[in-house]
This record gives sequence, structure tokens and C-alpha cells, in this order.
Amino acid sequence: MSSKFAILFVAGVVALFAQESPLDNSVKINLPPDSPLTLISENLGESHVSPRGSAVVLDLDVTLTLHNSSPNRVRGVTLLVAAQEVTPGGKASVSVPSLDVGPNLNFPVRINLRLLRPAQMRGGPLVQVNLDGVLFQDYSFYGPNRLDSRRTMTAWEMQAQRDRRYFKSILAAHGMDGLKQAMLESLNRQAERPRLDVQVSRGPTVASAAVGEHNARFAFLRFPGEPVEPVEGWAEVVGNEARNPRIDVHNLSSQQVRSVEIDWIVSDRQGKQYMAGSVPASGPEFNLKAGSTSRVLQDTALRLSRDGGAPLSIAGMTGFVGQVEFADGKVWIPNRESLASAQLLGVLEPSPEEQRLMDLYRKKGPKALADELGKF
Amino acid sequence: MTHPNQSILALYAGRDLDWFTRRRTERHLTHCGICREEVQAFASSRQGLTARSELPAIRWTRLAIEMKANIRLGLAAGECVRDERMAESFAPFALLSNARTLGACASVMAVVAAGLYLQRPAPVAPSEFGGGSAVLRATANGIELNQGGQTLSLLHVRSTDVTYSAGAQGSMRAGYVDSDTGNVTINNLYVQ
Repeated sequence: MSSKFAILFVAGVVALFAQESPLDNSVKINLPPDSPLTLISENLGESHVSPRGSAVVLDLDVTLTLHNSSPNRVRGVTLLVAAQEVTPGGKASVSVPSLDVGPNLNFPVRINLRLLRPAQMRGGPLVQVNLDGVLFQDYSFYGPNRLDSRRTMTAWEMQAQRDRRYFKSILAAHGMDGLKQAMLESLNRQAERPRLDVQVSRGPTVASAAVGEHNARFAFLRFPGEPVEPVEGWAEVVGNEARNPRIDVHNLSSQQVRSVEIDWIVSDRQGKQYMAGSVPASGPEFNLKAGSTSRVLQDTALRLSRDGGAPLSIAGMTGFVGQVEFADGKVWIPNRESLASAQLLGVLEPSPEEQRLMDLYRKKGPKALADELGKF
Repeated sequence: MTHPNQSILALYAGRDLDWFTRRRTERHLTHCGICREEVQAFASSRQGLTARSELPAIRWTRLAIEMKANIRLGLAAGECVRDERMAESFAPFALLSNARTLGACASVMAVVAAGLYLQRPAPVAPSEFGGGSAVLRATANGIELNQGGQTLSLLHVRSTDVTYSAGAQGSMRAGYVDSDTGNVTINNLYVQ
């Protein structure tokens, strides 16, 4: 009798392990031969494939160790992650901004991905990872830039410098107590920042108007010294959905502008403001010469809900220029004083650098934060 | 001609579709060779998976015969020692006992049926939002691109204080400090 139980137990264990299998050539890392970064190691950790009904789930938790083989300090990296068979119309990327990696040093990049697809197997790796761009300390850039990584990482680096400058000035003027106070204010702001659950769908929407649909007009905030000003803009709003934003912008500068990003804030009936997203415009179809006006236009629908899932009834919309990229690759962002005076710091998400500094303060205290600020 | 998407065909191959969708898919398959081939491919890969998951080398028929024989033996032994008079005097209780046994069996079966129903690979209900096109959203532990029931997610499992932002060009971003590497990591999903 006991032998029967033993057989059943062994069979159960075998069946359990048959449910999950390790990855076999499911991930391919591609770095160009002339890349300033080289791959040192690829740790697949607990990555595995498991069947779910007629589908397969791939859980990929990979840590890449990259080596900076260039003579410059690396400030940011973006990797393009493609799973073309699963999402023919979609792609993913993992960026690591706020880096400070010197020549001949290694650094980790972690990719944690899950994909669900039909069980029908085809040849070739499931996931391909390609280098999209590397940003260096002097703002030089390497990479194919398919995801507009150059602009994004340059803006993050400028935000990093802006925010470090702010905290360093506090430290210089008010000492460690002032730095602690500024950090606590940042942490409180982030804890109290109203959050939205946003869903995004791309493509032309159904032509027939839904009940209650109307064109809502943007109100715009203006910042001193901004090179581009928003003139007017609308979006179709019905209930908690906003569709097809279109905003006319005017180039106030003497240079050609390659791309503009308008940040988009919505407010509810109580006047509470939430960051809904951004409306970017770039590419060959967007041409904003010095002194000219052009339109930022996106075929998109955003569905907005509060944190608990309750639909947010959109009562008002506000926009402001969050980023401008000139034809020579230089980027303009609003300064911290402008954001503070417009009371936007409590609405916007923190920059990646401010997020990193807050994490450092929380885990290691004010002394470690002051030391970190002293490195730059 | 509009073809059913891959998920519908996969679910059809696994006999997991509801009646109406199944009938509609069957009608399409009668005149579409491409989709028939897709279904056959799904069915064969499903059989492969099933075969991999089966318990190895157990003679189920023999096992069933042995179990039945053991049950009969137990019943026969019970008959030998049963006091007939007691059985007669407690006849109503025996009936009650049978009813209880039936009730217990029914409950167990209901639990098993509910478990099987919950375990079956249910098709992902298409969201009304997006009208069937790709949708980006934030989930409890990441950001997700859902397209025709297939999903691609970027996760931030062991990190707190995550910031999310949406791009009207069709993107979703999650930024956090990775607890293992200590680096700020920004995951992006894009839909074209």
C-alpha cells in the first residue's frame, strides 16, 4: 500500500515540475560591434516559462552587467525590448537614467518582463534586447535612437542637474537641517500627490459621438523664458475619457524646434488637479521653424480613474510646455522656480534624479545624501 | 474577410470558447483554410503540452480495478459483522445517513466542479475601452500592453514608490528605484 502512495507522490512531483521549464534561447542580447558598452554577463535569475491553458507565460527576470568601454562617463542607457510575435504593434524599453559610470567600470541593468502568448511555438528567441542609446556626461549620444531616447535622456539629465543644483543650494544656504527639511517636503509632496489610473489606447476613435461628448478647451500656464508657447488647444471629452488632443504651439525662439512636449493636467469637479500625461510632437511631420506656429496632434484616447478605480469626471484641462528640443539637439525644460511658483511640484511626478535622492535619503540618511550631492 | 484573432483560434482548439463564439468560429473555419491550419497547429501543440504534463507510467485501469476490489472487500467484511436487528431498528437513521452521504458527495462534487471551472483557461474579456485595439495600463506590479488577449508586461516587483505617466502618442511609463541595483529604472511600453 505504501508503495502505491510513493508512486503517486513521485508522479505528482514529476507532473508539478513538468508545468514549468527553464528558458532555452528565449532571450537574445544584441549590442553593435562598435558599441561603447559591452556585455559582461547575463543572469537569468528565476526566469521561467510555464503553460497556462492553451497559452504560455514567459517570466523573464534578467540582470545584465554592462561595461563602459568608452573614455566618457555614462549618464544614461536605454535598451529596446522587442517581443514581436506577441505584440506586433507594441514594443518596450528599459531606461536607466541618473547614472554616473566612469570609463572601464561595470554597471547593472535589470529587465523584469512577463509575456503571455498562445502555446504554439515558433523558432527563434522570444525576446530580443537591443541598445537604443547611451548618453554621456558631455551630452554626446550613441545609438540608433529609434525610441527618441536622445531627447528623453537629455531631458532627464537636465532635470537631474537642475534638481541637484536646487538641493546643493539648500545645503549651502541652510546646512544639513535645511537639506533634511527640503527632503521631507519632497517626500510629503510625493506621498500626498493625487494619483490617477490612466489607460491609453491609440488609433482613430469611432466617428459617432457618445452621449455627453464635447470639445473641452485647454487653459495654459506660461513660464518666463519658454522658447515655445501654447496658443490654444482642445480635446474631445466624454465622462472620464479624453480623446484626440490637439494643441497649437508658437515658436518664440530664433531656432528651429524639432520636438515639443506639452504636459497635461486634468481637474475634477472639486478643482483637484491630477497629472494625466503628456502630449508630445516630433518627427518629420512636425516642423516648427523660428517664429512659426504648428499643431501638436495625437490620435489617442485616455481613460482616467482615481486610485481606487472610480471614474474621474473631467471638469477642466490645463497644459504647459514641459520640454522643447531644438534642431541642434539641445533641450529646454522649465526651471524649478517656475514649477514651484505655478504650484506644479505637488502635481507633477518627481524627476528620476529627485526620486533617486529621496530613496538615498530614506535608506541612508542626510549625511549620505550630502556626500552624494558633493560628487557632482 | 476578417479572421478571428490568435486567442480565439487557440481557445477554439482547446474547446474553451462559449457556444456562440464557437459557432461563429466554426462557420468561419468552413471556408478559411489559413485559420483551419492555425487551429490544427494550436491543437497539436496543446496535445504536446498535455502529453508533457501527464503522469508517467501509471496503469490507471489496473489501479481502478484494484481500488474497486478493495472497496468490495471492505463492504463484504462489513456485511459479515453487521447486526441485522440493529440495522432494522435503525432503518430510518440509515436512510438519513444515506441522505447525508449523498449531500456530502454533492458538496464535494460542487467544490471540485467550481475548482475545475476556475482553473479552466478563460478567455480574457475584451475591454470596452479601446474598441479591441491595443490598450496600455498600469497594474498592481507593472505596466501592461494588452493586444487581442496577448499581453506584454514590464514589472517592478520588489520596488515601492513607483511613478506612472502616460504619453498621448501611445506610451506608458513606470519609474522606480530598483531595490537590487539601486539605480533609477524607467520602464516604457509603446503602442504604434
